Amino acid sequence: MIVYRCEDTAESVFTAIYQAYEEKRDHRETYLSLTDDPMLFAEDIEVRADPVKSRKVINTLNRRFGGENSLQLSMALASEEADKAQAVYRTVAAGLAGNCRPGHLFDNLADDYIHRAFALARGVSTETGHQKQFLRFQELENKVLYSCIGPKNDVLVFLMPHFADRLPIENFMIYDEKRNLFGIHPAGGSWYLLRGEEADRPSGIVYSEDEIRYQELFRQFCHTIAIRERKNPKLQQSMLPLRFRKYMVEFC
Amino acid sequence: MEYLITGQEMALEDKLQVLTDAAKYDVACTSSGVERKGNGKSIGNCVAAGICHSFSGDGRCIALLKILLTNECIYDCKYCRNRNSNDIPRATFTPEEICTLTMEFYRRNYIEGLFLSSGIIRNPTFTMELIWRTIWLLRNKYRFNGYVHVKAIPGAAPEVIERAGYLADRMSVNLELPTAEGLRTLAPNKHRKSILTPMRQIQDGIRMNRNDLVLYRNAPKFVAGGQSTQMIIGATPESDYQIINVAEGLYRKFGLKRVFYSAFVNVTEDKALPALPGGPPLLREHRLYQADWLLRFYGFRAEELLDERRPFFNVMLDPKEDWAVRHLEYFPVEINRAPLEQLLRIPGVGVKSAGRIVAARRSGNLTFQDLKKIGVVLKRALYFITCGGRMMYPVKLEEDYLVRQLTDSAERVKFGSDGMSYRQLSLFDDGEFTRPVSPAEQRQAALGQL
Repeated sequence: MIVYRCEDTAESVFTAIYQAYEEKRDHRETYLSLTDDPMLFAEDIEVRADPVKSRKVINTLNRRFGGENSLQLSMALASEEADKAQAVYRTVAAGLAGNCRPGHLFDNLADDYIHRAFALARGVSTETGHQKQFLRFQELENKVLYSCIGPKNDVLVFLMPHFADRLPIENFMIYDEKRNLFGIHPAGGSWYLLRGEEADRPSGIVYSEDEIRYQELFRQFCHTIAIRERKNPKLQQSMLPLRFRKYMVEFC
Repeated sequence: MEYLITGQEMALEDKLQVLTDAAKYDVACTSSGVERKGNGKSIGNCVAAGICHSFSGDGRCIALLKILLTNECIYDCKYCRNRNSNDIPRATFTPEEICTLTMEFYRRNYIEGLFLSSGIIRNPTFTMELIWRTIWLLRNKYRFNGYVHVKAIPGAAPEVIERAGYLADRMSVNLELPTAEGLRTLAPNKHRKSILTPMRQIQDGIRMNRNDLVLYRNAPKFVAGGQSTQMIIGATPESDYQIINVAEGLYRKFGLKRVFYSAFVNVTEDKALPALPGGPPLLREHRLYQADWLLRFYGFRAEELLDERRPFFNVMLDPKEDWAVRHLEYFPVEINRAPLEQLLRIPGVGVKSAGRIVAARRSGNLTFQDLKKIGVVLKRALYFITCGGRMMYPVKLEEDYLVRQLTDSAERVKFGSDGMSYRQLSLFDDGEFTRPVSPAEQRQAALGQL
């Protein structure tokens, strides 16, 4: 039994998958692990992330499974769960072995690993959707739009294309406070991610003149639009879970 | 601006309060149906699935800035809060105010776009002209590229409606009440014909525009997100059967994208309106939406769900369960063989899970455990399906029994109650081991007689 020990990055996991194929491992006897937990009777192999190998794997995934399924695999790897590497690895192995057509990688949901990878990808995709809905920008003194989020999974990379397409002429910045990660979009330019140090945590934010007024207007709008006779806080809470509310102006 | 009658000196905050309050009974707040990428030069894009940005205290979504241009109205519809005989504060937005609000809300990611409706001011054409002028400003001066939903005012000149259609993503004309009699009693200024005329016009416009788009790829799009309408439920004595028949007709003959149902909330206390001591008929509205989905995505027809003899939906069962228990000749359905249309008719199987079943069974036979993974709601589906020729439990396919099982959660078959569970087999599964020892047995054991 072989255990590849990878880091918690997509690059590292893809490199491990490359190595498993390169070294012609039996996929049923091979595991990918993100932790250092020892396994009985297993031979450990440390994986060093390699951009070239990782790129090769990504190209293969794109070619064999199509863009949508590859994106789903990347989403599964953005999850917070520890078993994601193993689930993605075995899903890829099953797909390559079974010669599945592009777009049909996740067809066989009866398989435990495929189902797991599918469920992880769905979780991340759902959270990305939630952030697109519930993220709020605040205008700073210098007209930059600033937003702070605290997602469970690492979804910032999936959010940026959406907002860059939507607000191309704005300077905006999304800050993931759990991972200390900045997504930055300069007006008219292309977006990039920046991993911050502890000292980079934003503090002392100063709003622009109008900001408070529009926040107040929106708060009032949300309050007025509700129909009193149909009051249903339970439904509201299931559609808009409480964990998002501390980042949203209308609930502050 | 000569058309402002009152409210010119009001603060923006007060206007927003009054005109949101006036618009809140309109149901349509969807931002779906249009996929439009940003153009790199202006603000906004559209996502086909739609995005809801918040949820209000009643659990309804807030996707669009839903406001009226004005709540001045020359009509006197009995159910409407803005009827001219109602003494309420009146206000009117200027087009600039609406545009600024929309843009500032949109860039902060509060909303997905604008929903603009209006009371009838002077006459329908004049009102429609004002709506058009506002969205023209929004699109051209403020360069807004997001979602815009506007009302087509019944009775307005067709050319104004057409002009608005080229700027809006979705248009809607509210049918208000499902039958012509209802409309006559409660909305004396509205006529069925004047409502259906713009609906037909928009439908024809969309159809012609589709041909133009085939010829010229960059032709301007006309109402790209389709049109919708809404009906008030419970203000007039129509039956559910009449309502879903009307809805089906609208989907088939008018090519509508959505029909919305709005449980009647009595805000005007008019003597022609029913008193609703139990609050708005929310369950009835819910059942109608369920039936609406069955019509649009599950291949049901209105006359299958209800008929003249049973004109109302069952309160206890959802429309699909109700249909299934009355048509037991179609069941049980074999999951591994049945065609998609048949899978869609099983209670507990939705459009997504039916699609996944069809994809997954190519790789091998499916079991009940696999169905659970796929997302089938087994507690409803188990009475109607077989996997590999076997039912999950021995159940009687009998109407009374099934209705009892489906409605009374206490009587439902519990997982594990008959030994079938997800736990591994154990030596101690035999119930005899856990039975307490009786005093008689203790005595026998002590005397060595056991």
